[in-house]
Amino acid sequence: MILDLHNHSIKSDDGRARVESYCQWIRKKELPLDGFVLTEHRQFDADSDYGALEDEFGLRILKGSEVETEYGHVLVFGVNEDLLRAFDFTRIDLPLETVVSESRRCGAVAVPCHPGRPNVGLCAHYDARGPAEGVRIIEVASGGSRAGEDEAARKLADEHGYQGVGGSDAHIVSHIGRCATRFPRPVRDEADLVAALQEGGFEVARWT
Amino acid sequence: MDVEALRERFVGVDFDTAEFRVDPDDALAFAQACGETDPRYTDSSHPEYQAPPTFTASFVSRRTMPESFPQEGFRRAFDGGKCVVIHAPVPIGARLTATSSIAEVFRKTGRSGGMTFIVHRMEFRNDAGELLTTVDWRMVARDEV
Repeated sequence: MILDLHNHSIKSDDGRARVESYCQWIRKKELPLDGFVLTEHRQFDADSDYGALEDEFGLRILKGSEVETEYGHVLVFGVNEDLLRAFDFTRIDLPLETVVSESRRCGAVAVPCHPGRPNVGLCAHYDARGPAEGVRIIEVASGGSRAGEDEAARKLADEHGYQGVGGSDAHIVSHIGRCATRFPRPVRDEADLVAALQEGGFEVARWT
Repeated sequence: MDVEALRERFVGVDFDTAEFRVDPDDALAFAQACGETDPRYTDSSHPEYQAPPTFTASFVSRRTMPESFPQEGFRRAFDGGKCVVIHAPVPIGARLTATSSIAEVFRKTGRSGGMTFIVHRMEFRNDAGELLTTVDWRMVARDEV
């Protein structure tokens, strides 16, 4: 099953794509995606129900979040009420180790994203602060990366034994599906996604 | 910069009111500049002739910030784009009253470092008090290093 793990809709302050438009684009362009995850900036969109779009387009549409820490941005999958109470999603200075440990305690998974990106990626902060405890998975392929950034992320993953996922970091419709993650098992909902990430065995899928 | 304090003090508080008229020549020039081909925006004989959807974004209030809004950190703010929500057609020739407020203040981090966003909202109403458009203008201030 192939899921694009990192996308933003108009729910994010800088997102310009409606969720329906992502679905239309995936089908029109015949992208080999089985679904995607909406990771809105500094929030969790608990209210939106994309069930009708899932049925109409035959796509899995899951919800996560992208929060901001002193080590850069971090995707969180499996967000639930316990986790929403554990830290303030709107802050831009969350401690990474808190995000990682609280996610684990609450049955979620935290994944630092675009690690090679200046200021908001893990690599630069590892150089300055040293490695963070508890990180197991990072985004090694990002659709928003510039030259050399994914290579830096992959190098970091190799050095620290992290598993790697891929996500487009799409903010506009045509950027979805630039890279994704292939899972060896079905992912029906957010709980399945957490389980699949905890189990491992996934790999980056990239075809553009 | 204490964003929480700014938010508490300024968000949702009207700080300016201004009147504008939808000038036919300006509206047509705006439509042409946008490459509009829909006759509703370009043909004055069309029964639904009206200003192009984003036209009210061209109006500027008398103040961009509340008078007491702190200047420190915002002197070099730049335009972060506008978002226009259309509630009803804007008739050509209409007189509009716009109220300005700060809709949101928030922080984010990006490639270039930390940034503070201030969202200046103008709500345009007709003489009957009906809300026609809402224009959110984002001003961005990068953290000074």
